[in-house]
Amino acid sequence: MGGPMRQRLITLRQTIAVGQRFATGPVMGRFLMALREKTILAIRCPSCGRLQSPPREICAPCRVRNTEWVEVGPGGEMRMLEYVYYASPDPLSGETRETPYGAVGILLDGCRDEEVFWHLLNPADLDRVRMGIVIGDRVTRGSRLRPVWADARTGSISDIRYFELDEPPAPA
Amino acid sequence: MKKNRNVGIVGVGQSVYSSHREEVNQPEMIHEAVVEALEMAGITMAEVDCVVHGNMELFEMVHQPDLWHTLGTGAWGKESLRVTTGGTTGATLAAAADHLVASGLHDVVLAIGFEKLQEGHTTGGITNMADPLWGRQLQTGALTGMTAAQMIEEFGAERAKAAAMAYRILMDANAMKNPKAHRRLGLRPDQAEELAANSPALVGELRMIHMCSQSDGACAMIFASEEKARQLCAQPAWIEDHVTAHREEMFCLFGNAPVLTTHRHCARKLFARNGIRDPRREIDLFEMYDPSAWWGLDWLREFLLLEGDEHLRMVESGAIAMDGDFPVNPSGGVIASNPIGATAMVRVAEAALQIMGRAGGHQLPRPVRRALASGFGGTMWTVLFLLASDTERQAAA
Ligand SMILES: [Zn+2]
Repeated sequence: MGGPMRQRLITLRQTIAVGQRFATGPVMGRFLMALREKTILAIRCPSCGRLQSPPREICAPCRVRNTEWVEVGPGGEMRMLEYVYYASPDPLSGETRETPYGAVGILLDGCRDEEVFWHLLNPADLDRVRMGIVIGDRVTRGSRLRPVWADARTGSISDIRYFELDEPPAPA
Repeated sequence: MKKNRNVGIVGVGQSVYSSHREEVNQPEMIHEAVVEALEMAGITMAEVDCVVHGNMELFEMVHQPDLWHTLGTGAWGKESLRVTTGGTTGATLAAAADHLVASGLHDVVLAIGFEKLQEGHTTGGITNMADPLWGRQLQTGALTGMTAAQMIEEFGAERAKAAAMAYRILMDANAMKNPKAHRRLGLRPDQAEELAANSPALVGELRMIHMCSQSDGACAMIFASEEKARQLCAQPAWIEDHVTAHREEMFCLFGNAPVLTTHRHCARKLFARNGIRDPRREIDLFEMYDPSAWWGLDWLREFLLLEGDEHLRMVESGAIAMDGDFPVNPSGGVIASNPIGATAMVRVAEAALQIMGRAGGHQLPRPVRRALASGFGGTMWTVLFLLASDTERQAAA
């Protein structure tokens, strides 16, 4: 037998990097193409009338195919803010993200209830925005946000750099 | 739930949960749990008809790990099934094993959940659960500050933060009684303020101290038909019922209208079909999948169908402590130990151990006749189990 147990314990280090290429399908494809024209599209369920953006092929609760396209936003009200200090990897690049950053849920103009659009916040606005919240019957208002578009748009989530505060500065 | 025949849990095995299990590889770690479960049931692999195996393979990036793990599971030549449903995997494993036995297909089923989170990347893995066309870029792993933000808005910062820390300290007190728990910190109530001030912020008011661990570990359970269970075990934990509910893949929870959570949805369904009107009185124990102190605190309200601040009062009064009137997570819960593919199974296993009277140092001081156990994962998706003792089933008959 060999030496002490410690001398037989080894860990093997490995890194997997996988190049991926996802088909968007025609529904998401149309939505992504519209981003190139600085337009945010939503799709409406013919049964319950709810909007989804990014659009989904199906309204899952109603189990029907979505049909009607509408333009929403591009501005809206902030309903959710994840104020992130934790430095997680950016899955599109593998690079560690700069922190803090904000992931936001925005009720774009023309949307209601749970029709929230999910994107990022301009880090410079992290401490200037206010999140709207639902507590039972009480609904508080969140800050107005507007998208900041990328100069070179390719039909991807990065066509919107982030959303930024769209309100006059508070009086000093 | 309509069952073809009754199913009892007759054996539970758990490895030690830790961030340092470099001394064993994956099959060896699983083997520890399997051996313990077989010993408790008093059987060998010869008596096991089928092995159900599961984890979240995107963490370790070993696909079809059940191949390699045959060395530790004993599945060679046996019927096998693999389950992987994200955070709920462990509870879904228990549900699958229950189905296999209740259907009459098998008499004895061994279910195994495991994770070796130190061998992969937890947040990276969870990020890749999100839809790759949009959500992957935005997903913040399993970390969220939204529950804290909502509770602070509803109850005020001082009370909400104090209750979350009280929950955290109670869970640690329980973990201190469980030698297999990963994080056993020995927190004291008088440290609450210091902990709140010094623990690093992760997302919003979710701090490191509130959040669950990243653990290595495995859990194994043995499920048997009623006839077999009575032969093998003086007090099996009977599976009365379980409910699973999913949502859509996108997070649409934070608009300007209230949302019915899958927890509340499952609890309503489970209680209604088992004639439970007052869960706090009619159930003796809850092993909850509580990924953070904020979620544990908030979800008490959802699972127990409470209104207003009753859930806060349950924590503030100590009602959820081991000697309280509604004990939650005597094991220390997910905050103490989180080997993800096993985690939701550990909830069912710990609830079963309490009913069987085999929980050791964290056995509740009074008999557990009826217990709840929950699993959680994906986009707010829930598995909820109801277990019962013989006493409970005789009383109900
Ligand atoms: Zn619909």
